[in-house]
Amino acid sequence: MNIARNFPLIIILMLFISAFSMPIMKSVRKIKAFGFVTMSISTILAGCNFLYVKTNGKFEYRVGHFDAPWGITFHIGYIEAIMGVLFTIVATLIIWYSFFSIDKEIKENRISLYYLLINILVGSLLGMVFTDDLFNAFVFLEVSTLAGCGIIVIKDKKDNITATFKYLVLSSLGSGLILMGIAFLYPITGHLNMSLIHESIMALKGAHRNILLISVSTFTVGLGVKSAMFPLHVWLPDAHASAPTSSSAILSGLVLKPPVILLMKILYKVFGFEIIGSFAILDVILILGSIGMIVGSIAAILQKEIKRMIAYSSVAQMGYVFFGIGLGNELGLIMAIFHIISHAVTKSTLFLVVGAMIEKTGSKKIKDLKGIGKEMPITLGVFTMGALSMVGIPIFPGFISKWNLALATIETGRYMFVGMILLSSLLNVGYYFPIVINGYFGEENLEGKVYKSKVMPMKRLIPVFILVGLMVMTGVFSLNIIDMIRQGLV
Amino acid sequence: MERLMTNYFETGAMILFGIGFVMLLLHNNLIKKIIGMNIMDTSIFLFFVAKGYIVGKEAPIIRQGHKIIGYVDPIPTALVLTGIVVAVSITAFALSLTIRIYEEYGTIELDEIMKKRGD
Amino acid sequence: MQSLILREVSKMIIPFIQIFGIYVIFFGHISPGGGFSGGTIIGVSLILYRIAHGKEVAMNKFKYNSLIRSLCGALIFYGILKGYSFITGGSGIHFPQLPLGTAGNIFSGGYLLPLNIAVGIIVSVTVYFLFALFYEGEI
Repeated sequence: MNIARNFPLIIILMLFISAFSMPIMKSVRKIKAFGFVTMSISTILAGCNFLYVKTNGKFEYRVGHFDAPWGITFHIGYIEAIMGVLFTIVATLIIWYSFFSIDKEIKENRISLYYLLINILVGSLLGMVFTDDLFNAFVFLEVSTLAGCGIIVIKDKKDNITATFKYLVLSSLGSGLILMGIAFLYPITGHLNMSLIHESIMALKGAHRNILLISVSTFTVGLGVKSAMFPLHVWLPDAHASAPTSSSAILSGLVLKPPVILLMKILYKVFGFEIIGSFAILDVILILGSIGMIVGSIAAILQKEIKRMIAYSSVAQMGYVFFGIGLGNELGLIMAIFHIISHAVTKSTLFLVVGAMIEKTGSKKIKDLKGIGKEMPITLGVFTMGALSMVGIPIFPGFISKWNLALATIETGRYMFVGMILLSSLLNVGYYFPIVINGYFGEENLEGKVYKSKVMPMKRLIPVFILVGLMVMTGVFSLNIIDMIRQGLV
Repeated sequence: MERLMTNYFETGAMILFGIGFVMLLLHNNLIKKIIGMNIMDTSIFLFFVAKGYIVGKEAPIIRQGHKIIGYVDPIPTALVLTGIVVAVSITAFALSLTIRIYEEYGTIELDEIMKKRGD
Repeated sequence: MQSLILREVSKMIIPFIQIFGIYVIFFGHISPGGGFSGGTIIGVSLILYRIAHGKEVAMNKFKYNSLIRSLCGALIFYGILKGYSFITGGSGIHFPQLPLGTAGNIFSGGYLLPLNIAVGIIVSVTVYFLFALFYEGEI
């Protein structure tokens, strides 16, 4: 009977309905304002939902008139509530930033389409996190893939189109595999609801082990494609580097995350630890994650364009998330979720800042960004904060997740992987710090640059500052967040 | 072997899946890639529908003056319908991208596109 | 491809196609069919009109703005109606619902009929758009 229980559903419905009223509107200003207002309202609703979960605990929400085996249910616990707040708030700030940058990057008659796609994208991502029904999650995944392709290709340049085609082909392969996993799972359990599938699997008592193994591996590969697990990440650098600035921030900060959460739910909620532990699937995820950390960082060092470098850094950071899942203990899983939060905030900040640098200097190359610290000191300062978080300096969230991941690794007794984390952090220093150092210091490249000549107007920097504030807050209040995630896991 | 022959729907679906998968990954022509994607999707639909079919049972539709003892499981059919809609939209999107690629590069062979991007 | 035969035959055949499409939409909840298949049939009739009469006549008859307005309107209608049903069902509020009716009549199945009509509009416009974009490059 409580109204606050409806908020997750209302957010998704409002985002979808408001998206389709945008093509009817005429003026661009109105469309932008409308997109921003709907996203802020959903942020407020997500915040209320979070407070409700915090006081009353987790709850199941029945969508429509039918109960679980027939209808769809939402499961709203701590993790889902935190993700709801995170996604809506980051999306609001990115939309705010995009007011000033989007006109220069895409044609004017496509702006309504752009905000339509963003609203649909965020709505489907939230739906994927909230839902408790496997097939519903699949449909939301497809919607988010198509909308994600849309916000890449909307720039309509050569690179965008080929990158989008690559993304579309690989992710349709992934979605085929996910549907295959559902098709293997449905006949032996007879349910699509996650908790009911878990009960049926437990009732099987060890029968049909091969089918379960096939199913869990197709799910892992399929969701791994969507969230750039190491050997399947080939679409990511092209897609994220060629997209418009605000799209890159959304794609890298938000779109990669819900498939991982869905994978966690499938591994630990649908199959349960007993069954997963008896297969080797967690070790595979662990090894792929750690290879991804190293290879992503090395590839980032070799890049010459700054956006491609940050995109490869995303591959490395997703490696940490998969590493945390693959450890197979509670702390590892908590840190995987915490790293999702910290990466979402940090990477969207970095992409926005880098987009501003590219716009002002007119070059994508790293070597042209030398001496940028004299021209745009505040912007490079924000970039430095993000880089420090990525590398893992105390106070910032990146440090906390790396430290705790190392602790979790020691807990399992696999000391070799602690070295992997250290090596990957050192490699992170190798590609973030040269930009910062060459930007601020260095004798020869500062000549001829006028101090603060290209500084951004203050109104454009406000959303970036709020994002940085969120990042620092995530680091400072990390113990509370970790505590809440731990309660949510049970 | 006997198991493969009795469950011929599933066997056929798996063979089709392999064909589609290989076409999707190995062909250079973009249109053939899209065809492979469609074959793969169709094989999954065939597999899913075959899993829901019960021999001798009818479609779950109420008709007057017609008593039916048992129904085929309708959920896989409904899911496949949704899957078909998704596959149609992805195919349309991919084809429109192919048209744009042809306009930009003048070819739809992947190796030639790579060559043109190189220089 | 503007032949006289095609034009005259299409004049006769298009109303029948559309009536069949409407039949499939309206009987979607009590027999095989529904919004998606019926919408495709109506979309085919629009495509046939465009092939028979050429681009200019079709673009004059089906204006882009009115098509996109009906598409978005149907989507918003679908969202609001389904959202109303979802939220009243989910929170257990006993607001008035559409009557279920007796099985076998057209006015049965609660929300299915209006939702099917909305889906029919969306699908027919989308199919027409897809054809126009792929065949001639503009709507």
